[in-house]
Amino acid sequence: MPILQNSFEENVLTTKVDWLLNWARLSSIWPMTFGLACCAIEMMAVGAAHHDIDRFGAGAFRATPRQADLMIVAGTVNFKMGERVKRLYDQMPSPKYVIAMGACATGGGPYYKYGYTVMKGVDRIVPVDVYIAGCPPRPEALLEGLMKLQDKIRNTSVIRKPSRTA
Amino acid sequence: MKDFDEIYQRLEAIKAPGLLSADRPREGDPEDKTDKGRAGEAFVLIEPAAAKEFLIAVRDDAELAFDILADLTATDPDTEDENFWLNLHLLSLGHGHRLAIKAMVPKADPVVPSMVDAHMAAHFHERECAEMFGITFEGNPDPRNILLPDDWEGHPLRKDYEFPKEYHGISCE
Repeated sequence: MPILQNSFEENVLTTKVDWLLNWARLSSIWPMTFGLACCAIEMMAVGAAHHDIDRFGAGAFRATPRQADLMIVAGTVNFKMGERVKRLYDQMPSPKYVIAMGACATGGGPYYKYGYTVMKGVDRIVPVDVYIAGCPPRPEALLEGLMKLQDKIRNTSVIRKPSRTA
Repeated sequence: MKDFDEIYQRLEAIKAPGLLSADRPREGDPEDKTDKGRAGEAFVLIEPAAAKEFLIAVRDDAELAFDILADLTATDPDTEDENFWLNLHLLSLGHGHRLAIKAMVPKADPVVPSMVDAHMAAHFHERECAEMFGITFEGNPDPRNILLPDDWEGHPLRKDYEFPKEYHGISCE
């Protein structure tokens, strides 16, 4: 018989609400199925067996923004697509996070100077939590970006501290 | 399979509509340094107004049988130049020969009859050409933009194109 079986039944575990909620959130960041250019190929590699983003609880790529927590903007965002990206972001439920993956989504990338239709960074339309450098970034870089986002979530607090003046 | 000269002779023999002249690559004059010659491939020059009739004539002629429109695009050679170049590339699958065609479209009035009736492949090429160069293809069944947003201002592949400062309130700087 396993040693842990039946040993928690009538016990109480103590923890902090912040810790519990953050742990739940950062362990199941569901990204949206959504790729724009070559960075999306690296993102697919991260989802596949070799790098396996599911180890970090972020492998459930949702086919709708309404079920997603994370938008990985993987690729070049031009103005025509930017409006769609904004609309998808608006449809995601809070709390929601954005990773700008690669040079294009971060700041226009190689299209910075002569790309007349390329938006010079997706942060001009949606708030970005983590920027990942690279053109395209290695799968490990995206994993590190995800872990940075987890660190960010780990340090948030849902509890409002009592105000001193009140 | 015919080479360029044989094709050109045949074009003259069938009196292809709108045919103007042939232009072949040539060596520069070693005495005159301003004459650098011309590289590239040989092409025929045609009237843009008769482009559709030209394509139909060379498509239906059994000896030429140019049944594939491989490319239709335009070039803005220079801001000083008065014309756009309309470039067409034809391919005959049966014979295996090719033909490059050029037509001068005046920038002051860039209107060309649509070539969709000759080759359906011209449809999307014409639409892209229209949004990128501002050449109007009269008679195109669906002349909307393909790549650019519908309210985009200007034609990006023109030499005198000025990059936008902002689009829908998003800065381009």
